[in-house]
Amino acid sequence: MALNGAFSHLVVECADLEKSEAFYRDVIGLDVVGRNLVADNRPNSLLATNTRQRLLLVETGEVPPYPGSGGSIHHAWLLTIEQFKAARDRLEAAGFSSGIDPRQSFRAVGEYNMDIHDPDGNRFQIQAFGEEGTEILRSGAGTVMMGHMDDFAVGSVTHNRKGRFFLVREDEGFLAVSSWCTHKNGLTIWQKESWHFYCPFHGAKYDRKGCYVGHMGCQPMRLHPMQIDALGQVVVDTNRFFGRSGFEAAQAVPAEPGGKFDETGLTELPACDEKEVRERAKTGG
Amino acid sequence: MADVETLSHSGISVHDLKEAEDFYCGILGAQVHGAVNFVTEDTLKGRSVHQSYTLGDFLFALVLAPDFMPMPPADKLMGVNGFRHAFAVRHADFDATIARLKAAGVPFKGPVGHPDKGPFGESVYFKDPSGNFLELLWRRDENVDYAKAPQLDVG
Repeated sequence: MALNGAFSHLVVECADLEKSEAFYRDVIGLDVVGRNLVADNRPNSLLATNTRQRLLLVETGEVPPYPGSGGSIHHAWLLTIEQFKAARDRLEAAGFSSGIDPRQSFRAVGEYNMDIHDPDGNRFQIQAFGEEGTEILRSGAGTVMMGHMDDFAVGSVTHNRKGRFFLVREDEGFLAVSSWCTHKNGLTIWQKESWHFYCPFHGAKYDRKGCYVGHMGCQPMRLHPMQIDALGQVVVDTNRFFGRSGFEAAQAVPAEPGGKFDETGLTELPACDEKEVRERAKTGG
Repeated sequence: MADVETLSHSGISVHDLKEAEDFYCGILGAQVHGAVNFVTEDTLKGRSVHQSYTLGDFLFALVLAPDFMPMPPADKLMGVNGFRHAFAVRHADFDATIARLKAAGVPFKGPVGHPDKGPFGESVYFKDPSGNFLELLWRRDENVDYAKAPQLDVG
């Protein structure tokens, strides 16, 4: 099926066309294309986003209420950060409470969201992604002592929550894998039942070496430099981050006293302080 | 210019994720994008369990909804029931699209022609297996170069 830009328009029922058109025009910020432009006997209004996508409001006189909270049926508008700030001002001016994101704990750093209901109770998400979502975040844990190398069996994955990394023991040696998802700064978790790192924010998955598995085209999870000291203690430097295009055996630090991280072929990435970025994210969106 | 770039994504409630996936991927040509919360623990904790898909430039999630809209009668093919998603195909491919729906045994209504003054050409109306209304159409503005949709992201 040859789709052309695929998504054309969303049809939304409304009880009062005037009221809903004003809401989508003045509060959401869509452009009105015109009235009664489609084959529908009921009064209707077509509105436009900045892409091919359109919203069609159809006045039905009566809109059935959603069960419960409206469940998960929703649609999300994607805005730039500037548009998001303007929309928040418009929402507040129009008497909507835009300060509360009921699912804030599900958002990645730098992901901004407002949940609002239109005049008929249809749930819409208003979404924007700030640059905080792609910055590299330094935990502030500094140098972390993980214990003796013999305490980590081959195949083990040990989470260091404070340092925001996983210590992975592979056949080839150790990897200190940053927990931050490279997609949009969500914190991944280790799912031992499927041997994957998983980001619950947008569903990204990585294998045990931190390489992305799936269709979103994400970069591998970043590495922290680390070493094994003369006594066999594992030491991870969480202040520095290295990017890579995939896994190579040379990235693993040999499991022997004096084992060192080899930067060859890796790119050191500039990092920001996580606390500072989180503060910025509170007011940025 | 509108103050909204684009629709980012939609969540579509379905009764059965496998049945819905077969329909959206097998008949409409959607691609699997990524699963969110597919661990038993998530389900027990009442987190949303959904799988996301892309259909051309559009990102949507099929959501196993804990509460569900009352569905319209089976023989009603065109309606809104809260929302209806419409997807565009090229005018030249419209007949082939209709043939494909017929071959797949999907009952539909149409084609219905739209007024000349609007951007839409002709539409066919149908439903997914859970009863969500859908529409396929060609558009008179199919060759207009609108701003490119921003990169897809999941919510």
